[in-house]
Amino acid sequence: MSLESDFEAIPIGFDLGEWEMILDEETINTYADRMQWKAREVIDKLHCAPPGTSIGLHPRMQFAKFTNLKSAIWAKSEHEFLKPFKMGTKLRIRGKIVDKFVKRGRFYKVAEFEALDENGEVLMRSRETGINVE
Amino acid sequence: MAINIEIGQEIPGLSKTAFSPIEQDARNPIHTDEYAQKQGMQGALVPGSTLLSYMLEMLYNTFEEKWLHSGKINISFIGGGAVNGDQITTHGKIKSIDPQEGGNRITLDLWMENQDGVKIMVGEASCLR
Repeated sequence: MSLESDFEAIPIGFDLGEWEMILDEETINTYADRMQWKAREVIDKLHCAPPGTSIGLHPRMQFAKFTNLKSAIWAKSEHEFLKPFKMGTKLRIRGKIVDKFVKRGRFYKVAEFEALDENGEVLMRSRETGINVE
Repeated sequence: MAINIEIGQEIPGLSKTAFSPIEQDARNPIHTDEYAQKQGMQGALVPGSTLLSYMLEMLYNTFEEKWLHSGKINISFIGGGAVNGDQITTHGKIKSIDPQEGGNRITLDLWMENQDGVKIMVGEASCLR
């Protein structure tokens, strides 16, 4: 399969499924350490995860579905934070492909994601445009 | 963090040494040296989500808890991104203040530069305050 044929086969609306992430203390601290996050107040005082903690899962959700995809890079990234990611929450992250296009010979996919808590409340909405690379 | 909310005001930025552990078995090989260099890059690209996190920390420092409830960010990655060891700085400059239900929505221009002054991220963010 070529990059082009793989790209053409992706239907708009393609469901990327739903992943879970438990926002336990270890997960949050590991993320904060990796990101050199120094604003500890959000964790130690507010007992929340730094904003963006789950965003790294979004590309992984795509790679899990598009098994022929060799590599990808972000072109654009939009996020709306609606409610804090409280420590102890079991997040559900769901996503789908909402658009795709070719521009200057590059293959772009647009995906939207929502992060929800156990009650189904949306905590964050994201829209990301990535470039498939071969 | 107490800052003056005035159009044209720059918020305090952050400086960091961009770093993400290189995982040679990473599913996305653009984050490995070998593959990234074959694509004409200097080395493994630091993930966009890592660079985004640096920007989000600056915005959290400015808007504090309000960011967790009403923050919006829209960025584009340009200029070839960052590789491990790049010295990056985050920047934000207030460009509008719009009264809304719940407060004023403050909108900023955002950008991130590497050690050579090359912009590697540009965009916009807003938050109620």
